[in-house]
Amino acid sequence: MQPLKVEGIVKRYADKTAVNQLSFEVSEGEIYGLLGANGAGKTTTMRMILGLIFPDEGQISYFGERYSKSQLQMLGYLPEERGMYPKIRVSDQIIYLAQLRGMSRKDADANLKRWLERFQVPEYYDKKVEELSKGNQQKIQFIAAVIHNPRIIIMDEAFSGLDPVNVELLKTTVKELRDSGTSIVFSTHRMEHVEELCRNITIMHKSNPVLQGSIRDIKKRFPQERVILATEQPVAGLASVPGVVEVTTHEHGHYELKIREPEVAQDVLRHALAQGAVRRFELLEPTLNEIFIKTVGENHE
Amino acid sequence: MNNLGTVISFTMRNKLRNKSFLITTLVMVILVVVAGNVPYLIEKLGGEEKVKIVGYVEGQSPEIIAGLQGYFGQQANAKMLLASQGADEDELKRQIADGEIAGYLTLEADDAAGFPIAVYHSKDAFGSSVSQALTAALQAVKTDMVVKDAGLSEEQMQKLLMPVQLSTQKISLTDENGKTESELGTAIGLTYVVVILLFMAVMISGQLIATEITSEKSSRVMEIIVTSVSPLVQMFGKVIGTFIVAILQIAVIVGAMVVSLNLPHNADALQNFGIRLDTIEPAMLVVSVVYFLIGFFLYAVLFAAVGSIVSRTEDLGQAVMPITILTLIGFYIAMFGLSTPESTLVVVCSYIPFFSPFLMVLRVGLSEPGWWEVWVSLGIMLVTTLLLGWLSAKIYRTGVLMYGKRPSVKELIKAMRMYKV
Repeated sequence: MQPLKVEGIVKRYADKTAVNQLSFEVSEGEIYGLLGANGAGKTTTMRMILGLIFPDEGQISYFGERYSKSQLQMLGYLPEERGMYPKIRVSDQIIYLAQLRGMSRKDADANLKRWLERFQVPEYYDKKVEELSKGNQQKIQFIAAVIHNPRIIIMDEAFSGLDPVNVELLKTTVKELRDSGTSIVFSTHRMEHVEELCRNITIMHKSNPVLQGSIRDIKKRFPQERVILATEQPVAGLASVPGVVEVTTHEHGHYELKIREPEVAQDVLRHALAQGAVRRFELLEPTLNEIFIKTVGENHE
Repeated sequence: MNNLGTVISFTMRNKLRNKSFLITTLVMVILVVVAGNVPYLIEKLGGEEKVKIVGYVEGQSPEIIAGLQGYFGQQANAKMLLASQGADEDELKRQIADGEIAGYLTLEADDAAGFPIAVYHSKDAFGSSVSQALTAALQAVKTDMVVKDAGLSEEQMQKLLMPVQLSTQKISLTDENGKTESELGTAIGLTYVVVILLFMAVMISGQLIATEITSEKSSRVMEIIVTSVSPLVQMFGKVIGTFIVAILQIAVIVGAMVVSLNLPHNADALQNFGIRLDTIEPAMLVVSVVYFLIGFFLYAVLFAAVGSIVSRTEDLGQAVMPITILTLIGFYIAMFGLSTPESTLVVVCSYIPFFSPFLMVLRVGLSEPGWWEVWVSLGIMLVTTLLLGWLSAKIYRTGVLMYGKRPSVKELIKAMRMYKV
C-alpha cells in the first residue's frame, strides 16, 4: 500500500487550469521531487494533498484511503511562506500545533525538547519566536512540521533562506526522516538538492506534468552533450571538429564543449591527443538544472 | 471536539497572559470603584461648604433686610449669613476684594411692584447657590409681608407654604405590583449597565477576535493551522475562548462594582439617589443574560468572518467599520430609548437581530413588553446567529487561504465555489 498516491488530479480555477492530470506515487522512505517554475501549480498540488482544497477530478489516497479529517494527523506541512506566532513562546506554540494534530501535551513536550537538542538550540524553548534570527525561525518551523511524527511530510521550499551549515543540518535530518520510513514530497528550485535527495521527480510546467520518472531514467533520456577537456598544451581547431556546437575556453587549458551527439566525443578526444597529452577527458551526463531549463524553457516557446 | 478544547485553552492562555489585557482590566476596575463611590463622595464634598457672608448697603429697605436676617437665622445650619454692612457700594466692593464677603445685595425701591428690585453683586456671575438661596429667602420675606395683613391663621399659612408633591408610579398590566419610582430608577440603572457592558464586550472582544485571525493570516501561521484542524473548530474555538475571557473580565469588573456599591458607607448614599439593588427583578436578569450571550455570539462570528478575509492588520479597521457602526446604532437607540422605551423606533428595532440585544433588554427593564414579543425577537435573533455562524464559517474557510488585497463580495463567492466549501 503506497503511503501517497495521486491519480489524475485536475484543479480548475475560474478561467484557468492550475493542475492538469497529475499522477504520481510516493513510497515509504522516499523523497519525491516536485519541480516547476513559479506558478506551475506546485503549491496548488500540495494544498490538494493537504486537503485544503479538493481536486475537481481524480483522487488522492493515503495508505489506500481517501482523504478524511483523520488523515490530518499523519500529515506534516512545511509551508513555503514561513509563519509562526511572533509573540508566543516557542514551546507554547509548538505544543499547541502538536496537540491539534492529536498528540498529548506530554509527548509533544518531550518531542520538542528532543528536536531542539537535535538542532543544538535547547535554549529556545522559552524564547518568543520574534526574538530569534530568521535561520533559527526556520528551524522552529521545521520542528513544527515534524513534531507529531507524521508519516507523510510536504515540504515547500524546505531549505530557502538558510546558510550552508544549516542547509547541511536540515538535509541530514530530512535524510534521517526518509531512512526511518517517512514519505516526503519535496519542492525546491535548487536542483542540486533534488539530485542529492530525490529518487523520482515530476517537472511541472504551466499546470501540466511534462517530465516524470526516476532521475536516472530521465537523465538517460537526455543525450550526453557535454565534454570537459584539459590538456597540457593549447588545442587548436576544436571548433572545426564535425559535430561540435560550441567551445568555451576556461583558464589553465580547460575546455568545455557542447556536442551534437555522444559519438562526437571520441572525435574530439582523437583531435586533442593528436596535438599533445590529455590530462582530463570526461563525457558528462546532463545536470538536472540543464534538463529543467531545457524542458521548461523549450515548452515556453 | 478534543481540538476545540485545545483551541479554546490556547486562545484563553494567550489572552490572560497578555500584558495590555491585564492592564486594561485593572484600569477598568479602578474606574468602576471610583464611579461606585461617587454618590458618597458627592455627599461628603457637598457637606463641607463654607458659610458664605453676604453684605448689604446700609439704609436700603431696612425692613426687608431684617426679614432676610430673620429667615436665615431660623434655618438650622444656614450656609449664608447676611451680616456685613457698608456705607456704600465702593466699600462693599473693597470687602469683596479682601475676601471678607462673597458678594453684596442692593435693594432699589420699586413703587409699582410694591417690593424692591433686588440685585446680587458678586465676582462669579452665574449659578451660585447663593443667588438661589437669596431668591428663596426674598420670596419668603415677600410672602410674609403680603400675607401679614390678610389675617391668615397659622394653619392656613402652613398650607400655603407647603410645596406641591408629584411622584410617578409605573403601572404593570400583567401583575399586580407596578414599579415605584425607586424601582424604576434601579431598572434604568441596570439597563444602562447591561447595555454598556454588552457594547463594550462586543467591541473589545470582537476587535480582538478579528485582529487575532488577521494576524494569524498575515504571519502565515494560518497555513499550518488550517492543515491541522478544521476551520470551523478553529473559528468557534477562538470565539468561545475569547468569550470566556471576556466574561471573566466582566465578572471581575462587575464584582468590583457590586462590592464597592455594597460597602456600608455607600448604602445610604445610594438610597438617597433612589437606587435599591434589592428591587432588581430576576426576570430582567435572566433576559439580560440570554440576550447578552446570543448578542455576543452574533457579533463575534461577524468579526471572525471579517477578520478572515483581511490579509493585513492595517486594513482591518476599515473592514470592521460596518459592524462597528451596527453596534453603535444599537447602542445609541438604546440610549435614546432610556427615556422613551415604548417609542415605535425602539419597538421596531427590538426585532432587528443586530439591535435586539440592546433594545429588548431595555424594553423588558423599563416597560412591559408581552412575553410573546420577547420570544419572537429571541427566535429571530437565534436563527440569524445560527445562519451567520454557518455563513461566517464558510467565509472563514475561504478567506483564510486568500491573500493579497481584500476580496470583493463577488470574488469571495467565486472563491467559495472554487474551494467547494
